[in-house]
Amino acid sequence: MSSEGTATVSFDSSVFDLDTVKKSAYKFSDLVSFDIRTSKNEIVCELTLLDKKTTDSLENIVKKLKNEILDQDLRKKIFDETEIVRNVILAHVFSNTGLQDG
Amino acid sequence: MAKFREQCHYSSVLDSGYKILPFSFTSLDENRYVATNVAGEYIVIERNDLYDFAQHKLDNASEIYNDLKSKHFLYDDDSNVAIDLLALKQRTKLRRLSDFTGLHMFVVSLRCEHSCPYCQVSRANNDAMKAKFDMTQDVADKALAMTFRSPSPAIKVEFQGGESLLNFDIIKYIVQKAKQINETEQRDLQFVIATNLALVEEDILEFCKEHNILISTSLDGPKELHNKNRPRPGNNSYEKTIEGIEKCREILGPERVSALMTTTKESISQPIEIIDEYIAQKFNGIFLRPLSPYGFAIKTKFFRAYGFQEWLDFYFEGLEYIIELNKNGFFFIEQYAATILSKMLTPYATGYVDLMSPAGIGIGAVIYNYDGDVYASDEGRMLAEMDDKSFRLGNVKENTYEEIFTSETLLDAIEESYTGSVPMCSECAFEVYCGSDPVYHHATQKDFVGHKPSSEFCGRNMSIFKRLIDMMEADAQVKEVFYSWVRM
Ligand code: SF4
Repeated sequence: MSSEGTATVSFDSSVFDLDTVKKSAYKFSDLVSFDIRTSKNEIVCELTLLDKKTTDSLENIVKKLKNEILDQDLRKKIFDETEIVRNVILAHVFSNTGLQDG
Repeated sequence: MAKFREQCHYSSVLDSGYKILPFSFTSLDENRYVATNVAGEYIVIERNDLYDFAQHKLDNASEIYNDLKSKHFLYDDDSNVAIDLLALKQRTKLRRLSDFTGLHMFVVSLRCEHSCPYCQVSRANNDAMKAKFDMTQDVADKALAMTFRSPSPAIKVEFQGGESLLNFDIIKYIVQKAKQINETEQRDLQFVIATNLALVEEDILEFCKEHNILISTSLDGPKELHNKNRPRPGNNSYEKTIEGIEKCREILGPERVSALMTTTKESISQPIEIIDEYIAQKFNGIFLRPLSPYGFAIKTKFFRAYGFQEWLDFYFEGLEYIIELNKNGFFFIEQYAATILSKMLTPYATGYVDLMSPAGIGIGAVIYNYDGDVYASDEGRMLAEMDDKSFRLGNVKENTYEEIFTSETLLDAIEESYTGSVPMCSECAFEVYCGSDPVYHHATQKDFVGHKPSSEFCGRNMSIFKRLIDMMEADAQVKEVFYSWVRM
């Protein structure tokens, strides 16, 4: 849904979490302002172009936002899945530096 | 080694699947992504492959599987040393943190006989100014004592100005005193004088020779451009610089003098001419630098004289030209790219302060101003010239080493700006190559962290990271050239 300078997109909240949507929105915050609301099973984003003369069209920004949300979701999955390994690596990195507790 | 393993090998791996190692990714273009791991190794991967990989759907006989495995993005039954290797590589990159401050800059005088319009700090060259804006022995002693409190095994003392040679007596004093202290300290001690060379004389260079001092000068490009950028009485800055470079080479040796350029509005249309000038002057590289947004520059027309896109066009035109020279057998380096490439292609961190996270301020470099004020970086002292003392850490006459290096000013700026926890940076594939530059973001956005989507620092670096990777992917010869730059 869009009118000149604004567009609304919604995402299924059983598929994407709010944090993922917010992080994705941040990336475009130099181009559009966001109004993010949750309602029942949806996360609703209302985008307003900050500068109507911007070279990127609103339609394009919405397309990129959707891709970014998929990417953010994937990042979250990888982050969760690699948490233990990340900590193991960090423990190795800081071993014998005298910086660790105990 | 056999080219292919027994089939049973693959099936056993297939049974247990593979495990994903931590990595970040950022889109390179519509279909491709750059993924990097904690050690800074990168891989370019198609969107479909990336999603398959993350969903454990990759075929373990595929080329991409083996690439991801050899670059430590995944491990399987056959490669469980990957975690140790990654840790070792990350540790090598972080080593500079425990070394702490290695670069100590001494502003020996603010006086200068040039009046460059983009300069942030210089004062007129006369006696009244000398009394006011030259470093005294007392300040030098205290700054030196602080320098040697740094645990860094390698200490570089760099003399800056104004025009540093206007207070050559204090340079001599500091060099001799530092060497004396170093007899017991036994650090790897190096000296650099940053100078426009207009005042250089034989006896100065003889002293530099005796004490193994490097010279870093300013050369903005061909004669007309250089003299326009760098006015001085007689309008002969270019002639003086070139003459000075020749004298340095004659007395100190060809490798002992380097040059830096500043990109002004006049320079932006002349990347090739500037590079050709460096070649004509027998330098083997150039550092194509944007004008920093600090001090006077940000408040005057000079910083906004060109936009960051214009600078990028200038930079890429220059870079392409330099690559072509190399392809044709003429070795010549672009130093900003080389700094980034050494992060991308080698296990070593660089000491370049702007591309450090945690921020290089205070950790990578510290600056002692003529009056004893200590700043977290050169840019921090330039801001102070505009009455913004946000990066003043203290004064050598009033504060102890502990007070200065654990000052809230420094720790807050480093902690807040640490890219590992900054929105957008924390998940950016280029975070391993990038820096946090809290001084830049404070100067341009009044915030140590900065709003990265609109930060020119981010826009500029992201464009360069992507272009360098894209170039290497597209042309194996470019990759060879880049490797030759980091093998130096
Ligand atoms: S500043 Fe930009 S390019 Fe650098 S790590 Fe942050 S998001 Fe990435």
